[in-house]
Amino acid sequence: MDTYYFTEMPYTAFPESEVDKYPAMRLTFPNSYFDPNIAHDLFKRYLDEFQYAEDIGFDGLMINEHHSTPSCMDVEVNITGGILARVTSKAKILMLGNMLPTSDNPVRLAEEIAMLDVISGGRILSGFVRGIGIETWANNTNPVYNRERFEECHDLIIKTWTTPGPFRWEGKHYQYRAVNPWMLPIQQPHPPVWVPGTGSPETVQWAARNRYTYAAFLTELKVAKELFHNYRSYAAEDGWEPGPDKFAFMICCHVNETDEKAQETGKAFMWRMGYPLKGPREYWAPPGYFSRAGTAANARRRVRPLNELSYQELQDDYHLVVGSPDTVIKKLRHIKDELGVGALLLEAQGGPMSHEDTMRSIKLLGTEVIPAIRD
Amino acid sequence: MAATFTEEFVEVAGSQIHLMKGGSGDPLLILHGAGGNPGWIRYAQELADHYTVYIPSHPGYGQSERPDWLETMNDLACFYTWFMEKQGLDGARAIGFSMGGWLASEIVASCQHSFSKLMLVDPAGIKPEKGEIADIFIISPAQIQEMLFHDKNQVPEYDQLFGQELTPEQTQIAEQNREMAVRICWKPYMHDPRLPFLLGRVNIPTQIVWGHQDQLVPLECGEMFRDAIPGAKLSVIDKCGHLPNIEKPEEFMKIALDFLA
Repeated sequence: MDTYYFTEMPYTAFPESEVDKYPAMRLTFPNSYFDPNIAHDLFKRYLDEFQYAEDIGFDGLMINEHHSTPSCMDVEVNITGGILARVTSKAKILMLGNMLPTSDNPVRLAEEIAMLDVISGGRILSGFVRGIGIETWANNTNPVYNRERFEECHDLIIKTWTTPGPFRWEGKHYQYRAVNPWMLPIQQPHPPVWVPGTGSPETVQWAARNRYTYAAFLTELKVAKELFHNYRSYAAEDGWEPGPDKFAFMICCHVNETDEKAQETGKAFMWRMGYPLKGPREYWAPPGYFSRAGTAANARRRVRPLNELSYQELQDDYHLVVGSPDTVIKKLRHIKDELGVGALLLEAQGGPMSHEDTMRSIKLLGTEVIPAIRD
Repeated sequence: MAATFTEEFVEVAGSQIHLMKGGSGDPLLILHGAGGNPGWIRYAQELADHYTVYIPSHPGYGQSERPDWLETMNDLACFYTWFMEKQGLDGARAIGFSMGGWLASEIVASCQHSFSKLMLVDPAGIKPEKGEIADIFIISPAQIQEMLFHDKNQVPEYDQLFGQELTPEQTQIAEQNREMAVRICWKPYMHDPRLPFLLGRVNIPTQIVWGHQDQLVPLECGEMFRDAIPGAKLSVIDKCGHLPNIEKPEEFMKIALDFLA
């Protein structure tokens, strides 16, 4: 099993209580609270932590992208990917991922990802995402067409990587006279594609049909099990059996020398489990963004929102794994055994967690936890 | 007078369209707003005392089917010229409310003989220069409801329209209506940059009505419609919000009957 290090690179240098003056921390929380000089220092620090994670033994580094939110300073996964491609040498770079529906230029995305694959020497895992509802507002793309655009954008990127150019593309949402980018990926036929999900039945089906790796994000174990089961069922219908490499699970994770110390320093994750997950229903679910099947599946599962769970409840449900190396090894083994995943994606820096606490946690994960859960 | 109307499904462009129809006399086509067809309520019945009133639910709204190709306001305008042809409504009188006013404007701007008289009630469709059209997609249905009226206590049918909690089926229809509005009005939001120019060719009697305190589409837009359509008249109803036919039914009916006669 591979282990990935992940941070959303949050910006927390403002009083949380200020958020109460606005509908949400995302989209409409004024950017007058942003200080680019603080962000400059944070980027240096976060990128150092990524490098250290590679040095200490993580198999991969995961990066993501959001817009108009202090909870994630990474606004362009391909920029961060480009930096990591150059400053690291062996870790896989999991970009989870490029937001396809909000892109108006799939060919540009295809060549950017290809360029990253070339610079990194074939270490790119290309995640494709729909973008949460808020990205629909931030980029002003019609939510009704989110899934259609996701699928057409994907189809065009894959064709761009696999079909010698030039060719024409006259689709519903995208049209090109000459698709023929000079830049093509090293990995053949193309970089592995990963897809994250929190429960949409269509996404699981789509991932299975395309034989892509499906990563369940911060779901309850029982929900992840259901989603993976559905994936296997679709695969069985198509006559193949997915290995562990088709399944990944993302959680928050923090290690300190003792359980007691870890419980204290791990509380930094409560920042990311709080305001960043709140906001009006319309922000998260613009009309038309969720299909009826998706809405029904979510209602049936009766999952409590993460921001309503206590620190202890988040740990009980394995959204957050915190403890000494021994404790964390036991819990991660439990997840691995329950889910049969080939990759654990550990968000190991969250909220206002200090550089010191983050580095110690990365070190303990790399030297003690990862060797114990690898096989 | 007791409500007297029929409901039927009529086929247009291969789609089944839900149509409410009642009254007698010359035909009068009603085009509803973004929220959906409010049904056969007081103003409709009062109009039906003078005209044969047609109230279709737009494709994708309520029980009406949406043809797969119908995705923009211009598609909807084309669809309605087809609908009117099939129903023998060419040259009928028409009233368009809110988004339905935008729709009626697109129809008349592109198809000169579609209507004989046009009434636009707080229509969307033109971008205001000073204010903004409220973004109804990013706020909740409850917030929209709060913005509909100047004073909900003066709305005679308020309890009838909003007093009951929605059934699951009604909730689903409301969400579907909202999705359809998003499909056709998302970007540019609730307007067509060409419309003020195209309206210059309109040469039928046009009456614009506006609630002075409209919080969704500012009165400024009413003045722009009046200036865009040659000979158009703008009547402003004071102490009234976005739905004059519901908030000030008596004043609204007087303007409507005087104009349509």
